[in-house]
Amino acid sequence: MDFANLASQLNAGTILPEGIVIVTLLGVLIVDLILGRTSSRWIGYLAIAGLLAAVVALYFQWDNANPISFTGGFTGDDLSIVFRGIIALSAVVTILMSIRYIEQSGTALAEFIAILLTATLGGMFLSGASELVMIFISLESLSISSYLLTGYTKRDPRSNEAALKYLLIGAASTAVFLYGVSLLYGLSGGQTELSAIADGIITAKVSQSLGLVISLVFIIAGIGFKISAAPFHQWTPDVYEGAPTPVIAFLSVGSKAAGFALAIRLLTTVFPMVADEWRFVFTALAILSMILGNVVALAQTSMKRMLAYSSIAQAGFVMIGLIAGTEAGYASMVFYLLVYLFMNLCGFTCVILFSLRTGTDQIAEYSGLYQKDPLLTLGLSISLLSLGGIPPLAGFFGKIYLFWAGWQAGLYGLVLLGLVTSVVSIYYYIRVVKMMVVKEPQEMSDVVRNYPEVRWNLPGYRPLQVGLVVSLIATTISGILSNPLFTLANNSIAHTQILQATITKVSTVPLEEPEKL
Amino acid sequence: MLSVLIWAPIIASVIIGFWPNNAIQPNRLRLVSLTLSGLILLWNLFILFKFDLTNPGMQFQEYLPWNETLGLSYQLGVDGLSILMLILNSLLTWIAIYSSSKDTERPRLFYSMILLVSGGVAGAFLAENLLLFFLFYELELIPFYLLISIWGGEKRAYAGIKFLIYTAVSGALILATFLGMVWLTGSTSFAFDAVSTQTLSAGLQLLLLAGIILGFGIKIPLVPFHTWLPDAYVEASAPIAILLGGVLAKLGTYGLLRFGMGMFPNAWSTVAPTLAIWGAISAIYGAVVAIAQKDIKRMVAYSSIGHMGYVLLASAASTSLALVGAVSQMFSHGIILAILFHLVGVVEAKAGTRELDKLNGLMSPIRGIPLISALLVLSGMASAGIPGLTGFIAEFIVFQGSFSVFPIPTILCVVASGLTAVYFVILLNRTCFGRLDNDLAYYPKVLWSEKVPALILAVLIIFLGVQPTWLVRWSETTTTAMVAAITPAEKTVISQVALK
Repeated sequence: MDFANLASQLNAGTILPEGIVIVTLLGVLIVDLILGRTSSRWIGYLAIAGLLAAVVALYFQWDNANPISFTGGFTGDDLSIVFRGIIALSAVVTILMSIRYIEQSGTALAEFIAILLTATLGGMFLSGASELVMIFISLESLSISSYLLTGYTKRDPRSNEAALKYLLIGAASTAVFLYGVSLLYGLSGGQTELSAIADGIITAKVSQSLGLVISLVFIIAGIGFKISAAPFHQWTPDVYEGAPTPVIAFLSVGSKAAGFALAIRLLTTVFPMVADEWRFVFTALAILSMILGNVVALAQTSMKRMLAYSSIAQAGFVMIGLIAGTEAGYASMVFYLLVYLFMNLCGFTCVILFSLRTGTDQIAEYSGLYQKDPLLTLGLSISLLSLGGIPPLAGFFGKIYLFWAGWQAGLYGLVLLGLVTSVVSIYYYIRVVKMMVVKEPQEMSDVVRNYPEVRWNLPGYRPLQVGLVVSLIATTISGILSNPLFTLANNSIAHTQILQATITKVSTVPLEEPEKL
Repeated sequence: MLSVLIWAPIIASVIIGFWPNNAIQPNRLRLVSLTLSGLILLWNLFILFKFDLTNPGMQFQEYLPWNETLGLSYQLGVDGLSILMLILNSLLTWIAIYSSSKDTERPRLFYSMILLVSGGVAGAFLAENLLLFFLFYELELIPFYLLISIWGGEKRAYAGIKFLIYTAVSGALILATFLGMVWLTGSTSFAFDAVSTQTLSAGLQLLLLAGIILGFGIKIPLVPFHTWLPDAYVEASAPIAILLGGVLAKLGTYGLLRFGMGMFPNAWSTVAPTLAIWGAISAIYGAVVAIAQKDIKRMVAYSSIGHMGYVLLASAASTSLALVGAVSQMFSHGIILAILFHLVGVVEAKAGTRELDKLNGLMSPIRGIPLISALLVLSGMASAGIPGLTGFIAEFIVFQGSFSVFPIPTILCVVASGLTAVYFVILLNRTCFGRLDNDLAYYPKVLWSEKVPALILAVLIIFLGVQPTWLVRWSETTTTAMVAAITPAEKTVISQVALK
């Protein structure tokens, strides 16, 4: 193999965005080593600049004519680009949030950012990974960094407990996932590349065998853990409550998006023969997640726990698009995850701001907040209402598209359940709004009564404010001005080879030809 | 042209909500919103005078592509069914703002929410796209929740949540039905004219129609789904109750007419007899329960259930006369309920109670509140269907139009109308007549500004009562066209069934 051939086989340009992230990561580490603590004032911005540069690089890779790189180990198609973008953006906002939070907890910011960037890297590689070993490695680098992040505030016993719990469950589920993956390797006659596995399974004539089903179930257990689908959700509430809040923000968007990216790529490429089976399993997971997430969230008193159950429920909604398996179904998933990025991060920014100023995140303590901090009240209200799917916010359009795609694919029961549980969800989201907005001044909680004066010029508050305002605006208008996002989501599906081959043509109605970006 | 009705209030609401100066006087804000809603009302009247009475279809249409993937387009239009509702909306918004207290707490949020609601309701009446309608329909949810639970009475938190949940369920049902209608008929767009349910099997049509009826039935409200109404109406402050009863309930009946009858002409005839009986039961139930109430606001709230029953009867009958009656009844119920709630609000503010057992002799010319009482008598009579007032005209057209199709439910509704007179006589007797309690009756003076909205509404009620053409002429061509769409063959079947 001569060099030119090898270079074209490697096609290393596709991982340029990840390359930028790696350079940034190393830069952060080295700067920290050289300058020590003094660097912490601007090191966050360095990381943000790196991540944004990665997003720009992703933009230039859109519609890459030759996405397959590293001899099939990585695919830089549009689907992966969208998910890599979501993960990178969620890391950007997470860093904006964490600059103050981590400083206040008395731990080193640069180390935190380095681990966060590693997790981002893992997630970004996972979105495009199309080879078993590559998938496993990026999954592990995402997971291990997540354990570290969860236990980062190591003097807090709750954080330690959460990290231990996350580690034990995570490691176990990764082991189960690994077992499923190794079965695939065996069943397909020694193939590790996803499309080759599909062919190998057909050649080996095991396409309805018990082995394939077992490996499917094991793999779903690993994926379900990442997207926190019930019944693989048990870590979520405890980890969300114990871990530092910026980490939760990242786990709820970045890590979840990575899980969904993995789900789409793995399930559609490797398991087209048992598509009915995995749809069935995911239907069960979606039903469980929607019911459990929404109903149990009703009974929560802690804001972070409530958002944990809400994120389980939201995963249930997103799974509707996955089960539909149509072009519109996948596109609606992508669209929902995009708007979920805005609304969840906006919500978490407000939770962080509140806990930075008052030191608590109990729902009851929010009462009467509108008088002391109108911006926080507005941000949290808008993001929660958007999560509940109230028009004309982003979440409404996201849910409508999911339900519309689900209905088109004939999933009447799931969509109806989604509608019913949405009504339930409005109740617990509005409870927080009620606490903040409706309560009279005399019903103010003690914490709010002693609320410190709102000042944005303290160190580390300005990035929080920027993150809040940007995500708030995005949550408000990305529903009304949703056309570019819709086009993006639709194109990312329409231009992706692996999906086009496997999309079930349930849809009898031709979708509108999406415009070129 | 129509967009102004939606966007002027919404943009104003955003501006008012974000107005930076916290020290701004409530009074100043009230004046600003009042002027603005007055201008919108004038604009609406201008549209009314430009309205072409001979055209049964949509007028002043506007179209902008929005989200092709979802089949959602920004498509507006007004026809005979919606024009009066639009006027009602902007009129009552103006009155609600006018009758709001000059030193409302948290005025920015208050006026911002009222204007938001006003724009949203206008949007729902104007929308020519199912999804757009739903968007505006759901837009009411949160502002009204806040309006009830911040500025309401004692049990406002409970009432607010109850309203929220009922309305959210109604929204979910409607959305599910809309998705079903569009997808099952194989349409790619949610535009009204793109959706035609004729091709569906009878069973599916009935199923979808049931979704529509249940969804909007919660909002109207029909009898088993009405339990949010007394709480929400009673706990809301007077201006909010005016908007809730006057405008929001009309969204329900409008939706029933537009989407139930308009889009399921075949299945409609099948369910019509049930609906007629349901309407009659609603009317009787509302009247009987109102008789038993001890609180004047609760009485008025239950009267609303009864009056919406007539609309249901008329829409079930679906003769062209009955439909004109339905639209007229919607409008006149809107203004009558508004004046009643306004007067009850004034009585409560002056006398300090709403209990029938404690109020007495308000008619007394010197120490009572005579003008308010007189207006209360007038509006009670209007609500009970006394000739010369608009309530009579609307009810009479309803009964006249429905009798030929559903004689027995119509007679039941006439009985209910009689019962309405009963409880209004009880109400007037206990409040306006009798002697003032010498120890308690030191009522504050009723200011002119408090009388104005009631006087305007009273003039309107009398004017439309003696000159009913101005009430019915707007909707005649549209309703005739709607009736014509319901196939003649089916109609004869119904009338035979009904005669048996």
